Amino acid sequence: MSAGEQVLSVSGLRTVFAARGGAVTAVRDVDLDVSPGEKVGIVGESGSGKSALALSILGLIEPPGRVVGGSVRLNGQELVGLGDRELGNVRGRDIGIVFQDPLTSLNPVKKIGTQLYEAIRRHHPRLRKHEVRRRALELLHDVEISSPERRLDDFPHHYSGGMRQRVLIAIALANRPAVLIADEPTTALDTTTQAHVLWLLDRLVTEHGTAVILITHNLGVVAEFCDSVHVMYAGRFVESASTPALFANQIHPYTEALLGSILRPDRLEEGPLAAIPGAPPDLADLPPGCPFEPRCAFGNGREICQTVRPEPVTLTGILHGSSEVECHFAEERAARGELAAERT
Amino acid sequence: MTARIFGRVAGSIGALFGASVLAFVFLRLAPSDPARLIVGEFAPEEAVEAQRRALGLHENIVVQYYRYMRDFLTGDWGFSYSTGTPVSSAIEARLPATIELSLYAFVLAFAAALILALLATYRRRPVVDGALRTVSFIGLGTPPFWLGLLLLVTLSGTGLFPGPEGRLQPDVAAPPNVTSLYTVDAVLAGQWHTLGDALWHMTLPAITLGLVPFAFLVRLLRANLLEVAREPFITFARSKGLSRWTAFRRHALPNAILPTVTAGGLVFAHLLAGSVLVERVFAWPGVGSLVVGGILQQDFAVVQAFILLGAASYVAMNAVVDVLYSAIDPRTRGGQGLQG
Amino acid sequence: MRDPQLATAAGLIGLLVAVAVLGPVLWDQDAVGIDLGATLQAPSWAHPMGTDDLGRDVFARFMSGARISLTIGLVAVLAGSVIGGAIGLLAGALSGAIDLVSMRVMDAILAFPPLILAMAVTVGLGAGLTSAAIGIVLTSIPFYARLTRADVVRIRSANYIEAAGTLGATRMRVICRHIVPNAIVSVPILAAANFGYVILTLAALGFVGLGAQIPTPEWGAMITQGQEVMLTGAWWIGVFPGLGLLIAVTATSILADRVRDLLDPSGRRAGGALSVKETAP
Repeated sequence: MSAGEQVLSVSGLRTVFAARGGAVTAVRDVDLDVSPGEKVGIVGESGSGKSALALSILGLIEPPGRVVGGSVRLNGQELVGLGDRELGNVRGRDIGIVFQDPLTSLNPVKKIGTQLYEAIRRHHPRLRKHEVRRRALELLHDVEISSPERRLDDFPHHYSGGMRQRVLIAIALANRPAVLIADEPTTALDTTTQAHVLWLLDRLVTEHGTAVILITHNLGVVAEFCDSVHVMYAGRFVESASTPALFANQIHPYTEALLGSILRPDRLEEGPLAAIPGAPPDLADLPPGCPFEPRCAFGNGREICQTVRPEPVTLTGILHGSSEVECHFAEERAARGELAAERT
Repeated sequence: MTARIFGRVAGSIGALFGASVLAFVFLRLAPSDPARLIVGEFAPEEAVEAQRRALGLHENIVVQYYRYMRDFLTGDWGFSYSTGTPVSSAIEARLPATIELSLYAFVLAFAAALILALLATYRRRPVVDGALRTVSFIGLGTPPFWLGLLLLVTLSGTGLFPGPEGRLQPDVAAPPNVTSLYTVDAVLAGQWHTLGDALWHMTLPAITLGLVPFAFLVRLLRANLLEVAREPFITFARSKGLSRWTAFRRHALPNAILPTVTAGGLVFAHLLAGSVLVERVFAWPGVGSLVVGGILQQDFAVVQAFILLGAASYVAMNAVVDVLYSAIDPRTRGGQGLQG
Repeated sequence: MRDPQLATAAGLIGLLVAVAVLGPVLWDQDAVGIDLGATLQAPSWAHPMGTDDLGRDVFARFMSGARISLTIGLVAVLAGSVIGGAIGLLAGALSGAIDLVSMRVMDAILAFPPLILAMAVTVGLGAGLTSAAIGIVLTSIPFYARLTRADVVRIRSANYIEAAGTLGATRMRVICRHIVPNAIVSVPILAAANFGYVILTLAALGFVGLGAQIPTPEWGAMITQGQEVMLTGAWWIGVFPGLGLLIAVTATSILADRVRDLLDPSGRRAGGALSVKETAP
């Protein structure tokens, strides 16, 4: 696809947090393209830089953090380097975000209505009071808040967790943005509510043709919701593929490990769940080779993995399409996967 | 809500009862003999005994306490021989000056604290923040009466500010009495010169009186602002397109200022104690200097009345602040609402 | 030790203590003797802080004042923490009527703004340093008592205490071995913060004539004395004792703040309930 077709195009984005023991690079030269209406998933453990990436795209990284390089183009407009005011014109109008915790994302001492009006008014300053109110009611209705007229004057603590999350979605979608970033939107909710919120989100973005970047650590959510997936590790995408391709072939050992660590009823007889050994690396002090090497079941101890940082490799013709993988043994592993697929 | 108010009032009355007993114990049963104090050190024993009877000191303790409280509650606070008037009218005459000064001191302290706390926390300026912490420590360690003297020596000596001459210059007449607050009365009467003079006279005392509340409030506001500024709802507000300042002003400021209401009782205590320590330095004709005068001239009726009134108003203030906070904070206001 | 504020505070306190302890040994001028031939002299080598309206050396008086403030401060903090801590321990450990009565008395004390209650006590007992100290101790007690009681109650409900109980330890043994050592940990934190309040209140009482009496060279009383002649140009009489107070109080509260951060990083315990910041006059 050419760059012109992308609604959001991130390239070489790099975000650094100043810390006592030196700089922590949370996002390392990330490229990301999103087409209109596409649903992109970003998966990874906590601390892999998913949320930092989201905030970097929106220009909401606060000191001591800083976006030090790269480009973010939204509808062709470059966002990196824009001032607070210009960015403010884009945020909430062309791109919105929903955070993980619906409780702390709403100001506890302001009415729900006030917090909704604010999002509408910012980009439609000429609207009359009753028009803003009507729009807010529509939005609450869209996210299935019952009798919204009565709920506008309520405070966040009057709402349940699922309702608050739906309000966040209503606020983020208030001005029909082209892109919505959903940062772990269902993690804080119980399972039934999760499913409902996800279903609702799916319906709304499909109706409006909104592109979604769904950040999660839950591969089940990705399988259900996303067109394509990026697996993030230590500030980089280590494997990017369409959802079917990723679930068909896990070429990067980290992806394989991630999938191995989720409960799948069809694989119960294969033995107990495999947890990924060790902890994510210290971003302030990455090993010189592959950042996953110390925890890697495949490459652990191999010299090339310990000394050389892998470059992205594009693999075409694998099951269900193509994949981009950062692993020294990507081709070998892809071939092995095909053999296995042929055998079955 | 109503239940909460009733509970609070009942608690306050209980605390006040305890406080009145305590004050009674210390002021009446202490080794010093009030009758002896009144008639003088060298008066004959019969005169002391007569005075004791006159004061009702021969009755048993419970009766004495009953009389003491009855007199206090009916506004009979004794006779102040240093001013030659009943204590109640002496305090009534002095109260407006104290209230006016305290109000200005509070406004100054709060405004300065808010501005400085904002400067230190908005956009995290570590240097300003460090300086502010030091200033706050020094502010809390400065004896107010000493600061007043220092300001008088350095600023009024040069003619920039008036010396210790009270609320107005000797040749300026008080404005026509409506509220007894000179600044308000001067505005009501359109006497701008008087207004200017009153403000000019109030500046140094108000700064002196406001220093401790300022240092206290600046800490509180700084801590609150730092905490609120980290909340995800600030980031979420900015993701709607609000500028950094707008998000801060609409969402961080109210949330940080709201809890300072709970410190109202302490600020009140600072101002009350401060008036005793500061007014006399500036010859401010308020209750504080009346009390210090009472101490120096052994006019203890005034001091006793002030102590009880101070406790009563402090308890009342704390109750009001408590009820007020639960009324303005939506999280404690009203029920849980609908869920689901 | 990369904290310049803390280093400065500690240094200043050390200096004041040195002045209080060594001063009278090294500086042989009289703090109370009147010399009408040398009144109101400006600071000089012979009188580094000048002389007052009765010809007394202000430096000698300043050093005596340091001794008075620091000694009474120490004694009052000790008395307040021991008495208040004991009340809190008893109330928390024995609960029942003792708890109820002692806590109501604490409520009554807390119904007064601290300085006002200290004034009531000194008026009742007669003005003087001792009554002032008693008044200040009385106003401090409830803070210690409430803190310790809250700690005891919290610890009593902790699992390991219940475990000790079920293992057959006697009540007294549980109280002495498990509750007391854990509950008194917060007392020193509060005491450190309380010190500045004590000396500031002592000076305030001295200033209004309820504390130290003439001619005792207490800092607050010295400021009152300086007030009379200050506007005629003799600034040194009142300025130096005030400076001493400022340094002593500020330095100890900075020190207390750091001690609290060190002993209790979460800020859960003492919380500075009785520090200067909340109860200074």
